[in-house]
Amino acid sequence: MRIRTILVTASLLLLAVVLQTTLFSQTRVFIPDLVMLMVILLALTRLRPEGVLGIAFLGGLTIDLLGSSVLGLRAIVFTIVAYIAIRTRERADLGRIIIGLWAGLLTFGGVVLLLVVGTLFGQTIILGEGVVDLVVLVPLANAILAWIFAPMVVRLVDRDTTAFRYA
Amino acid sequence: MLSRQPGDRTLPTLITLLVVGVLLMTFDVRSEGGGVTGVLRAGTQSIVSPLQKAAAFVVNPVVDTIDSLSNVATLRETNLELQRRVAALEASLIAVDDDLARLELYEQLYELETTGSALGRTVAEVIGRPDPFDRALIIDKGTSDGIAVGQPVIDTNGFVVGSVQQVTTGTATIVPITVGPDGVAVTVEDQRGILLPQVDSNELRLDIFDAREPVFAGQRVATSSASVRFPAGYPVGQVVADAAPSNDGALSTTVSPFADPDNLRVVVVLAWPPDPVKAITAEEESEPTTTTMPPDGSSTTSTPEGSSTAGDG
Repeated sequence: MRIRTILVTASLLLLAVVLQTTLFSQTRVFIPDLVMLMVILLALTRLRPEGVLGIAFLGGLTIDLLGSSVLGLRAIVFTIVAYIAIRTRERADLGRIIIGLWAGLLTFGGVVLLLVVGTLFGQTIILGEGVVDLVVLVPLANAILAWIFAPMVVRLVDRDTTAFRYA
Repeated sequence: MLSRQPGDRTLPTLITLLVVGVLLMTFDVRSEGGGVTGVLRAGTQSIVSPLQKAAAFVVNPVVDTIDSLSNVATLRETNLELQRRVAALEASLIAVDDDLARLELYEQLYELETTGSALGRTVAEVIGRPDPFDRALIIDKGTSDGIAVGQPVIDTNGFVVGSVQQVTTGTATIVPITVGPDGVAVTVEDQRGILLPQVDSNELRLDIFDAREPVFAGQRVATSSASVRFPAGYPVGQVVADAAPSNDGALSTTVSPFADPDNLRVVVVLAWPPDPVKAITAEEESEPTTTTMPPDGSSTTSTPEGSSTAGDG
């Protein structure tokens, strides 16, 4: 990875972390998981798959370190989501709506996995009021954001202005 | 659906990272958030917190404006209602001032030493939450403002919110009692019980193991002197449904907390215990009586041992 790519990726991830923990912590209906979304969208770029997995792990670990649940929970979940995203990304490259749906489905899987692993490790903090609503709302918000921002993120990271331009 | 290419190192990388993740989780659970993981958390929060504060400085007014716009139809009525409440509270304040003056006089007459009213209070703003599923609150005050791990947190009405789990120089993480892993020792009337969080609910489960009488809907639940996490007498919530003790004396019901952590913008961190060294010294000297000041203003008398060692479950 070039220095510029590393800087852009790190900046995007940091922006996602800051916006997630401030702006989107106060919204009631539109509740995305920006860091998970960023991990999914990075799978669409030309970054090496191993690099995307590493970024996913670090992104999840950052949220774990900022939060109060057990360390490594999101790191594991985001890494698995990134792996599935890498393996299925060819199917997303059909149009913006498909990218949105693909990101939404991956987020749904990630959210369910987070709750399952969290429950196994006794993390009551992630099972508070409205957790069932979040299983629907978070993937929905991520799908909308992916539909809007996926091409922009890919072009920014890959420095390719022609990426994801659909007729 | 899944395809592998020759020389593809994705799967070995995934497995390695998963193993590292599971090891981290095990290590964190075993060390109970302390040690190296505690240092890592504090370090990360120290790095990110200035950015979070800057973002909150920009974002909070925008969110407030959007909130105001969405509630513009009811703004006038809300304003009038708030003005009425301010007038009523000002009148109450005068009455409380009279009571305090009387209390001070009695304390002087009976040579009582006040302890509860001397609790240090740090008002802090909620600047965010870690992610949609983590219900912890991040506040803009930290060790430089005297905040320490374990200190109890209340809202501006004096209702119990939770306790400090992590702290850095400029921020702290609060875990609400509605999702925290630990129970809270409480009293309902003169019975002692434990409040525990429930899955997908803001309500708490109240367990009383040696219940002598039933509890009724609407009864207030307050922190107990048996609690090591909260000072005694702080209101937590009210009983939702009537419940009678079973044959073995156990009683279980639900409690609706007064504080709503999801809508909090400002919290108050209590410096409690006020001074652990003094508290131990006082306990050793076994003073006959001390006066504590619960938030409702009424004075109660207890021995120093009464507010010391029992666990919160």
